[in-house]
Amino acid sequence: MAHPRERGSFRRQLSRRDFLRQSAGAAVAFSSAGAFLAACGHASNPNPGGGGGGPSASASLPFPLARQNNPVKWPIYDDNPPIASNLQPEKNAILKIYNWEDYLWPKVMKDFGKKYDCKVQLSTFGGVDEALSKIRTGQLDFDVYFPDPSLIGKLIAAKLIQPLNLDYIPNLTNVWPNLQDPFYDKGSQYTVPYVIYTTGIMWRTDHVKDDIPAMSNPYEIFWDSKYKGKIHIFDDYRESIGMGLLKNGITDLNTEDTAKINLSKDDLMKTIDEVHVTLDITDWTDLPEGRSWIHQAWSGDVVSAQYYMPKGVSASILRYWYPPQGGGAIGSDNIAILKGGKNPVLAHLFLNYLLDSKVAFNNFYNLTGYQPPMNDIDTHRLVSEGVIPKNLESTVVHPEDFDKALAQRLPRVRGGCLSG
Amino acid sequence: MWLLFLFVLPFYVIVCVALGTVDPIFGSAQPQWDPLRWDSTAMRYVLNQTFLRGGIYQPAFIRTLVYVGSALAMCLLIGYPVAYFITRHGGRWKTWLLLGLIAPFWVSYLMRMLAWVNLLQDDGLVNTALLRLHVIGAPVHWLEGQSITVILGLVYGYIPYMILPLYGFLDRIDPSLLEAARDLGASPTRTFLQVTLPLSKQAILAGSVIVTLPMFGDYYTADLLSSSPRTTMTGNLVDHAINSPFVTRAAGLVLVMMIGLLIPMLYYLYATARATREAAG
Repeated sequence: MAHPRERGSFRRQLSRRDFLRQSAGAAVAFSSAGAFLAACGHASNPNPGGGGGGPSASASLPFPLARQNNPVKWPIYDDNPPIASNLQPEKNAILKIYNWEDYLWPKVMKDFGKKYDCKVQLSTFGGVDEALSKIRTGQLDFDVYFPDPSLIGKLIAAKLIQPLNLDYIPNLTNVWPNLQDPFYDKGSQYTVPYVIYTTGIMWRTDHVKDDIPAMSNPYEIFWDSKYKGKIHIFDDYRESIGMGLLKNGITDLNTEDTAKINLSKDDLMKTIDEVHVTLDITDWTDLPEGRSWIHQAWSGDVVSAQYYMPKGVSASILRYWYPPQGGGAIGSDNIAILKGGKNPVLAHLFLNYLLDSKVAFNNFYNLTGYQPPMNDIDTHRLVSEGVIPKNLESTVVHPEDFDKALAQRLPRVRGGCLSG
Repeated sequence: MWLLFLFVLPFYVIVCVALGTVDPIFGSAQPQWDPLRWDSTAMRYVLNQTFLRGGIYQPAFIRTLVYVGSALAMCLLIGYPVAYFITRHGGRWKTWLLLGLIAPFWVSYLMRMLAWVNLLQDDGLVNTALLRLHVIGAPVHWLEGQSITVILGLVYGYIPYMILPLYGFLDRIDPSLLEAARDLGASPTRTFLQVTLPLSKQAILAGSVIVTLPMFGDYYTADLLSSSPRTTMTGNLVDHAINSPFVTRAAGLVLVMMIGLLIPMLYYLYATARATREAAG
């Protein structure tokens, strides 16, 4: 049987591209001018909640920057309380979902509508900026929205999302324990997790003969002039600078140290002339089409890439590397309920529904390719059960990866942090 | 009134954004409407990076000038003969020829560029054809940040806007003028150089303005056909700045470009006015 993605769900190149590029833009917004990388509450940044030592960019923010060692419990405002418990779902309602394109399996919405006797209506956006500006107008009554951790503080400060009443969301216990109470939203007061992914290197074995995982520093492959013209790096300043830091052995991806950032920048500038680097985020189509042979990649996109192979080219040539011992960039997306929505009870039930292990798995397997962090999905059996092919085993995110990788995870667009 | 709404007002908004602030939470632009409270930090940054030695915006500005200049020259070199041919030798096929020129443009610009991405791939049709004809020995990596690809993309994208005004003007040249020139002993070349070409000067100017203005603001051609930092154009700079907390810099860049483009625009208006006066006189 054909995989559903082959039939219908074609992620349009542009919207997808814009999605990530713009989300990158939103991430820049997190710190103000001058410091690109916000503080991480590391040993060098002793101020809790306030960013780094010295005149830190983050100090001027109207909300704290959450870090693994600086977890944030967001305030609940009097004028933005959670809904009461034991309310009945709204009648004759249209539940309005606001999400990325092709990031939610349509059958999930249909089944939910049947179960709770309501209509579920999906609207999509092409980028974070677009989504936020529409939400901020207050004219649209979307109920459910999918923010990444970098947006949570903003949305709470602007009172655009409402606190959750977890009485309606018992399925939260299905989620990995470390994400039931994440540092970027202690107590899951405003959000629940949706999907998780890592950032690593994707390549094709038919063109790349180097054994990348065996290299002493796999990131150096991005500077290998043998592959001139075929090396693509993410058009996302956090991912690209982060990769430059990792290449130099700097594991604190949230550093505000200008010298370290410049080290990464100088290395990245070299890729322009030495390997004619291309900047984009269409990793899941570039590699299958042969536009790139080596691509900085998100694990979920790697899973998708196998369905974009041209005729006659086997997906078995695809490979993905993420530091096996942990210590690469990792990220997540979350689900929140918008304050402007008209159906808060149904919205809570929908969040709960998405955290049903079976629903979450089907959504991952049939459409998104991005893995939900569910206890019932045995990550060590995804390959043996044929969900993920053997050659892409490294795309699987294990709960322990999060503990290792999240040591200093910064709430920002595409995750990013390291053990260390 | 028309000018006020479509030019002065938007221009003022851009100035207010360039000299305004950004929202502390969302990083979106907060235009400063009161001129007394304008903040020139972003504007100064843009000007310094554009005009001072070693400014980070400089390469993109120079590159854009070269790209647009080359694309304009090619548009003229290709467009003029095409327009000339249709006017002089189109005969009863004229309408069909024009239709043929315009037909591809019923498809959106983005779709056409995406189509080129397919054609220009290493194993795409263009390379296959060139290899078969032995024009090249190995596939050309068109999409790997080649300036020539971006320039050709611009030419392909905008050339009809050159051909159509040229055709319009050339078609209106009274054939009896040409006959008179020939009768007076001028060779075909001389007729062209001394009669047709001077008469079409206005059309060349008009066509050039119409094609260059959008080229200066173009970013998607470079994005789709290259997405390499080696082909960044000014449009890409604006695009990058818009999607960052430096929205004010994006507005600043737009202002620099607008003022830069004002000079050729003013010349165009001046030349048109003079031509109209001459025609009237």
